[in-house]
Amino acid sequence: MPGSRRKFIVGLVLFLAAGAVIGSLYSRAGLGLLVAASLALIWQVRQLLSFNRGLRTGDFDSFRYGEGIWQQMFSRFSYEHERGARYKRQYHQVIKEVQKSTNAMPDGAVILNDLNEIVICNRAAKTLAGLKRKKDRGQRVDNILRDPGLTTLLETNDATQTVDIPSPVRDNEWLNCRVVPYGVSQKLLLLRDVTERILLNRMRRDFVANASHELRSPLTVMSGYLDTMAEDEALPKTWQQPVRQMQRQARRMTEIVSELLELSRLEGSGSASTDDVVDVAGLLVAARNACEGQSDGPVIHVQVESTAQLRGNSGEIESVIANLLSNALRHTPQDGEVTLRWTSGSDGAEIVVRDTGEGVAEEHISRLTERFFRVDRGRSRDDGGVGLGLAIVKHVLGRHEASLHITSELGTGSEFRCHFPPQRVVVEAPMLLTDHAQNS
Amino acid sequence: MEASDLTGHISRRFNKDIEDLRGKVLTMGGVVEAQLARAISAIVSGDSELGLQVAHDDYKVNDLEVSIDEECSRILAIRAPAAGDLRLIVAIIKTITDLERIGDEAEKIGFLASKLAGMDRPSDSYRELKTLGTHVSHMLRDAMNAFARLDVTESFEVLREDERVDEEYEAIQRQCITFMMEDPRSIKRVMNVTWAARSLERIGDHAKNICEYVIYMVQGRDVRHTGISDAAELDAEKDL
Repeated sequence: MPGSRRKFIVGLVLFLAAGAVIGSLYSRAGLGLLVAASLALIWQVRQLLSFNRGLRTGDFDSFRYGEGIWQQMFSRFSYEHERGARYKRQYHQVIKEVQKSTNAMPDGAVILNDLNEIVICNRAAKTLAGLKRKKDRGQRVDNILRDPGLTTLLETNDATQTVDIPSPVRDNEWLNCRVVPYGVSQKLLLLRDVTERILLNRMRRDFVANASHELRSPLTVMSGYLDTMAEDEALPKTWQQPVRQMQRQARRMTEIVSELLELSRLEGSGSASTDDVVDVAGLLVAARNACEGQSDGPVIHVQVESTAQLRGNSGEIESVIANLLSNALRHTPQDGEVTLRWTSGSDGAEIVVRDTGEGVAEEHISRLTERFFRVDRGRSRDDGGVGLGLAIVKHVLGRHEASLHITSELGTGSEFRCHFPPQRVVVEAPMLLTDHAQNS
Repeated sequence: MEASDLTGHISRRFNKDIEDLRGKVLTMGGVVEAQLARAISAIVSGDSELGLQVAHDDYKVNDLEVSIDEECSRILAIRAPAAGDLRLIVAIIKTITDLERIGDEAEKIGFLASKLAGMDRPSDSYRELKTLGTHVSHMLRDAMNAFARLDVTESFEVLREDERVDEEYEAIQRQCITFMMEDPRSIKRVMNVTWAARSLERIGDHAKNICEYVIYMVQGRDVRHTGISDAAELDAEKDL
């Protein structure tokens, strides 16, 4: 380029000089210079106009070849122009491919900006959630998918949480939603059809509930007759022992059935109401009193270290305490100790049940809350446990957004801690009643 | 008027206020829709606990109504909106009243569900109530969608749908009367079914009202009490 610049300047100067020289031959050097300058100007203007025409028509062929500065400029420009167009085509192709593949995805994907407005969504989002791809652009996504669960999920903006919402398009179908934040403040909303999973779960729950329900009536008849027989004075001596055993087993079976029913009820219901307040300390004392009266088992201590109360279902919390306590008593020798503790802090509150019993081996701890799981298959069938207690505890705690932590050491004892989050704990005396009256 | 037209204000704060307000109304719509869905499922599956819970949760809808109402007065006082914005605020004030009524009807259905759960159940387990309920919840869903998208065409569809709901309600009523004549002992139960059907039918009417507000909001045209065919004719003329 610098070469051509020099050539251009030198050429121009020479042309003007030639004009002046020819003019001076006729002793009119000034006029000659002027004529030369005008010719140069006309030529430049012509080139400029044809460049303009080339820009308009996109046809640069007439300038492509040649040595002058204009030709070089033209060919450079047309080269850049073509390269730009080629890249653009390539990018377009890539974008098209990406779009095609996102449209082929079976899961719905919606890109949201920081105000939860829809930027773009794929085809599955249209079929699953009824979003309109053109019309809903710029619309807040929770204006269209209005389920309260999704609204809360968008507020918390936590990629680990998901929520199942009923499909806004088809009845009896369900979508699983997940919000994944990315970039500066963008979010990706993923929608997945989980109808099958929900139906399977429901079928399993219904089956357990129905089966338990059907078992109940024959059991009632049997234990009724067994009770009468056991009290009958005329019962032959050889039959007394078997009848008593049958009675005991029938009672056990009734217990299993009713706990199974309770479990399926707990599974079917959502989160526990937060409107009632439970006096946990009182429940702990009541649980101890109920157990101490019965037998000469281990000593039970109650340590109430907090005046806090719990928002939740009183009956269910009571069953948690009863289950944990009866577990502890069953696995603790007579000279051992069982401690019930209620504490609270800034991060929530805890019910702790600790015993000095035989403990549970490390590898069994994670399976303790499974239904009918037994650490020792041979041993513990006769000690009164049904095998559903901890499963019920787990479900009740789930309904209260609480978690169960188990620590245990073989030979020294175990500790069951039920941790409740702060929003479930009422520290002051409840002002809730007046609040509630205003609301309803 | 497109959804984006609403945000054509010089004051960004005003845009945000209006968008937030719309979002809040639709959130309220979502809560009401969920309440209705749960009430219907309570009555169909005979779940008394769920029914009572629905009745209890009605306060959420009421709270939202109060707070949106306040927000509307605030915007009216501070911004003194005109034209489309004024219509939007007016439509919102009316819409939330209807939504709150729908919430009340859902509460009633919840109560009735808990009552009906304790009585004998017919062999078809209230299929006709389920059909009517599904129909009505679709109407409510479409009405809220029309509100979100400012969609006049969809609004007219909901208006038309309401006539079908009314017919279904008639049929259920007639069926209930037959039941009561056949077996006077069932009167108590069937009366409750009638009340539930009545509530559902009312919800359909409220959904229709909401759609009329949407038409008012978008076109500035009041189609209340004009009859659906007149309103549709006007719509067709406008399209020409």
